[in-house]
Parts: sequence; C-alpha cells; structure tokens
Amino acid sequence: MATTFLTTQVGSWPRSRQMLKMLRGYQKGTVSRQEFNLAAEGEIRRTVALQEQAGLDILVDGEHRRESFYAFLTDKVAGTQLMSLADMLDFVEDKAEFEEMLRTMDMPASAIKNPTCVGRLSRKEPLAVGDLEFMRTLTAKPVKITLPGPYLLTRSMWVGALTRKVYRNHKKMADDIVRILREELLELRAAGCEFVQFDEPVLTEIVMSEECERRTFM
Amino acid sequence: MDGIRIGVHICRGNWSKQEEVLLSGDYTRLLPALEQMKVRQFVLEYATPRAGDIEVVGRKLSDRELGLGVVNPRTDEVESVESIVAKAEQALRFYRPEQLFLNTDCGFGCFASRSVNVEEVAFKKLCAIVAAAEVLRRKYG
Repeated sequence: MATTFLTTQVGSWPRSRQMLKMLRGYQKGTVSRQEFNLAAEGEIRRTVALQEQAGLDILVDGEHRRESFYAFLTDKVAGTQLMSLADMLDFVEDKAEFEEMLRTMDMPASAIKNPTCVGRLSRKEPLAVGDLEFMRTLTAKPVKITLPGPYLLTRSMWVGALTRKVYRNHKKMADDIVRILREELLELRAAGCEFVQFDEPVLTEIVMSEECERRTFM
Repeated sequence: MDGIRIGVHICRGNWSKQEEVLLSGDYTRLLPALEQMKVRQFVLEYATPRAGDIEVVGRKLSDRELGLGVVNPRTDEVESVESIVAKAEQALRFYRPEQLFLNTDCGFGCFASRSVNVEEVAFKKLCAIVAAAEVLRRKYG
C-alpha cells in the first residue's frame, strides 16, 4: 500500500431506493432485523466493490445499516428513542423559533431523526464491531469505522423535557456517552481496526451560527 | 490512545444541497479546542470555499495528520484532478505527504431519506481523488 496521500472517504454512501424501503419497513416492524441486515449487507458489498474499483486505500462500509451517522445509536444503546424533528416539536422550549430554524435552514423535519435520551444510557450491543467484522470478510484493505462524537451526541440526545427525568444535567449524561464510546473504541482496537473517525459536525455550529443557543439536533 | 488511528471529522452541515443554508467560516475559533484533542487526524472540509484557508489549521495543527476534503459530496459536478492536486499542494506547505490524506468533504448519504448525491456521481468523485493521489505521489513521493 502507498504511504503518502492515502485516499479514503468520510462515511455514508448514497442509499438505494430498495435500502430505504427496507429501513422504513424495519422501523415500522414489517421487516425483520435479519431481513434488514441481509439487504444492508448486499449494499455494503456493492459499496466496497466500488471503492476497490476506484482504487481507494482505506475503505468504509457506507453506513447502510444506519438510520443516520448518529441516530443509529437507538438500535444499540439502551435509554434512547428515535424521534423525528417533527416529533420533537412537542418537547422543545420555543416551538416557533424551532420551526423557523427548520424552514430557513432547509431542514426536512420528518427526515432527520434524533436519538433522544429518555433513560439511563448503556450499550446493549457493540456499536460498530460487527460492521468491522463484516468488512473483513469483503476486503483485505484497511477499514475506517465512523462513530458519532461525544460532543455531537451530548448536544443532540439531550431533550430537556424528556432527559431531565434521568440525568440532572448534560454533563452527567455526557459521562455515560463518553464511557460507551470508550468501550467501543477499545473493542475496535482489540479487533484490529486501523482507523476510527469520530464525527463532530456540530462543533462548527457553536462558533459559526449567529446564535450559540440555536439547536439543530445534529 | 495507542494502537489505533483516531480521527475527528468536522464539517458545516450536510443536510441540504443549497450551499447558502449551510454554515460558513474558517477553523480559527475552534483551534483552542482542536489543539487539546488527543487525536492523530483531523478530517476537514476544504472542497467548499465556506471552510476558509488551509493556513488556519496548517499553522497550528501540522503535528497531526490532515484528512483533506477535496470533493464536495453535494454537487453533481465532478472536481477536476488538477483542482484536487492544487488543493493538496496548498496543504503541502504545512504537511508532509505521509501526513496528508485525501478524502471527500463529508459523507454522500447523511440522512436516510435524504442522500445528498447519487452513486454514479459519488463513484466518479472517488476516482478523481485516486487519480489526484497518483499524480501527487509521482511528484512528491
């Protein structure tokens, strides 16, 4: 493998219509987890083959199993509930302002889903070790695993009206989030993962949106 | 943490193809936080002019690796190999070739029902990145 100018990508691959149908079916309960995983594995196979064909050095699985790069946590972590931004309208402090923000930012309220914290957080199953193991069966190239970062999760998972019943403040909830991510990182390292990328898109929001208090839940 | 490469990816939003609704600004105000992070690589947007100049990060964080964003996942137009090479050359003022990774600015899918691109375009963008890396390796090793 080359040692300079290594090429890779950041995570998700465009979803096929078939995969979106399976995801919605899985969330509604009309598609079993096994059927869903089987479909996702087909998509991952194609995504890996395309990256090999392009000649990329470090491969990703395209995140086909994930609702989004962070909302997939609701499958893996106890104490979470998948909610669309539209569902969350009932719980945000200032509804009018939230609606206005969604509109001006061209945010699709029903499409973006949030892993809201509604209970004590703990890992039900590994977040991504299974993704790594499946990738190993498809490629000999190094693999990058993507995980949502602790800051993003703390900012998005906290919905005061629901979370305050369980955690006194953000910081208490963040302690559990960091513990969960650290456990996962150690397991990925033990499994021989080459590269873990933590996604922190909201860091920019804090310093670049005019209003620090604005919350896009991503 | 030893024994595994840890990277942090930061971007300015990837939910819309309308560039003007996404965030804008360079990394200056984040530098104090980034400098404290115990990570080996920062994976950053640079294909979009909204990310500002590479110099901001290059001057302060060149002890780490840079995952240089060289293609915009939200556009239909595929970046030219020359433009990617030129972008990498700007980063070479601060980083050695071993420290410099080439990648997309962000993912292509993001939210389930709102992929920001289609597979055919995404594939061509990956091919452009690989072709640029080959040019750079010939030039700089």
